[in-house]
Amino acid sequence: MIRNITELYYYRALLWSLTQRELKARYRASLLGFLWTFLNPTLQMLTYGLVFNVVLRQQIRHFLFFQFVGLLPWIFFSASVTGGATAISDRRDLLTKVRFPPQVLPATVVATNLANYLLSLPLMLALGILYREWPTWHAIMFPVILLIQVLFTLGTAYIVSAINVAFRDLQHIVSNLMTLWFFLTPVLYELSAIPERYRKLMIWLNPMTPLIASYQSIFYHHQLPALRPLAYVAAISTLLLWLASQVFQQRREEFAELV
Amino acid sequence: MLLKYFNSAGKNSPSWYDGRVLILDAIVISNATKQFRKSTTPKHYTTFKSELVRWIRGERRPAPEMRIEVLRGINLTVRQGATVGIIGRNGAGKSTLLKMITGIYSPTSGTVTVNGRISALLDLGAGFHPDFSGRENILINSIILGMSRGEVRARMEEIISFSELGDFIDEPVRTYSSGMYMRLAFSVATHVDPDILLIDEILAVGDEHFSHKSRDKMDEFKKSGKTLVLVTHDLGTVERWCEEAAWIDEGKIRMFGQPSTVVAEYRRAVALEEGRLSNGPLASNPTAPVRIERVELLSDSSSQPVVLTPEDPLQVRITFSSLDRSTNIGFRIKLARSDGLTIYETTTFADPVPLVTPLPSRGTVQLQIDRLGLTSGDYQVCASVEARNGQSFDPGTLACTFRVASAGADRGIVTLPHRWLVDRHTDE
Repeated sequence: MIRNITELYYYRALLWSLTQRELKARYRASLLGFLWTFLNPTLQMLTYGLVFNVVLRQQIRHFLFFQFVGLLPWIFFSASVTGGATAISDRRDLLTKVRFPPQVLPATVVATNLANYLLSLPLMLALGILYREWPTWHAIMFPVILLIQVLFTLGTAYIVSAINVAFRDLQHIVSNLMTLWFFLTPVLYELSAIPERYRKLMIWLNPMTPLIASYQSIFYHHQLPALRPLAYVAAISTLLLWLASQVFQQRREEFAELV
Repeated sequence: MLLKYFNSAGKNSPSWYDGRVLILDAIVISNATKQFRKSTTPKHYTTFKSELVRWIRGERRPAPEMRIEVLRGINLTVRQGATVGIIGRNGAGKSTLLKMITGIYSPTSGTVTVNGRISALLDLGAGFHPDFSGRENILINSIILGMSRGEVRARMEEIISFSELGDFIDEPVRTYSSGMYMRLAFSVATHVDPDILLIDEILAVGDEHFSHKSRDKMDEFKKSGKTLVLVTHDLGTVERWCEEAAWIDEGKIRMFGQPSTVVAEYRRAVALEEGRLSNGPLASNPTAPVRIERVELLSDSSSQPVVLTPEDPLQVRITFSSLDRSTNIGFRIKLARSDGLTIYETTTFADPVPLVTPLPSRGTVQLQIDRLGLTSGDYQVCASVEARNGQSFDPGTLACTFRVASAGADRGIVTLPHRWLVDRHTDE
């Protein structure tokens, strides 16, 4: 894992350029261009807002802001993993024509979505201010939570990207699994809404639960996140990234032949 | 793994000393093999379905894989600053070898060691993003090839002017023609300041002007002591321009050494093979009224192939047999250089020659060229039979090869009859 990270650091210029390129390419030739970074989550938010506020009449205070706090990091995670699945298998041009460090590719996907997430944060803060939810000092925990999420996302993206080269089914499985995972994560509802006996299970089995709940703690509930689950996720994420690096190292020799 | 990717020196074996400075060979390949999993079409990708089916059937172990061995034990050392041409037939493994040197493929067994920064031109515009402008692609591509942002910015204008793309440099790359693509790719690959440049049959795309320019650029490379490895089918380039040549055949290095020797051997092997194919068990055309039995060169020389000088005469004798008493039949003789260039071709109709009509059941025809007048090289003589209306009976039967050895350093296709006139009274 250390080697993986040092290599990523070595190729940081490449990572940075590719990320820039992805960000630019994403909205190139579209009329609204970069505005889509904000429009996409906003439209999604409005859709859920319509369903949960108007149709289902849920009782959460400032619901639009609440779901936005969880939705943005969720999009960061799910877009990274679904994009990561094809990050290597779709880049035959790079892998078979030049000597190219493959570990940069999933990292690029994660970095691109991370940049998108960070760029849409002002929108979330603005929405909060609209609801008179001023950010409090608890937000200093944000970098810590974000770092843990990056580790977890990177690890997942590495595993998925490496396996998808040989097992192309994975990309379809992943995109379907993501929908299920989304509803198993307290993005649109509060963790406290889950019956007591399942709550523990959700925290320990789904690393995204403590992460999303932590974001909600600092931005919405204005309190420090529960530290024990967060530390647990940090450990899991590190372990996952280590495992992912192993899998990736083992398989990268065959990438050029299989893509 | 890190070492391999960075190509750092240090773990590699020193090969020779130059004074006090240790110089490492640029590329050392020892006993490298490369196998590929054979992709029998639908089973190319293992899917969960196929794995599941296998499991249900109770085959716990994956079916034995079909593997193709593309390279079977390559040993090659390329000196620092050498220019090496790699030749061989299609599918011999040339490109795989190049990809292995680049580090795209890792050898199945054996080792590949590279000392220095590699830049490879394996295909047009690898990593070019079609929606981005030439300028943006130069930046990304150079970084992929290992430059820093600062370095790229410093050289940007140089690269653009070398590519001669002018205003097109700010247009999206998808609008480029293949020639423009190639120019951009070549400009980037040569300006990233590699120690080793690998080129796979790419200069063919450019027009005359750009191929001269790229040739000059490569000469510059050569002079500055960089290592070049070139895969090409242009044997002339290998002979004239490379210092060493490697001939790869069926995944092995069949010959390595002086380009002229290697190229000549390669040409002879190709000619031999073609000859064997077309000479076949005279399956040519059983209904042909006339068959060529034998074609030979009449010469005093006993060596094989026959070696002649440009001033020698050339005599070709065709021995034929005729089934019935054929009329309106003629013979064609073609003289070609080993690369296929036709030097001269004539028929008994064209000249016209009074053949005996009808032809006897067995006989000979002889073509006499008083002065050969060719430059050094390998040549072939083909003979065939045809009707007056041009219908050919025997497919061009390769009959024999010969070699011209010229003492002088003259070049070209033919040795024209000539003499020099020197004015001896320059100062009145």
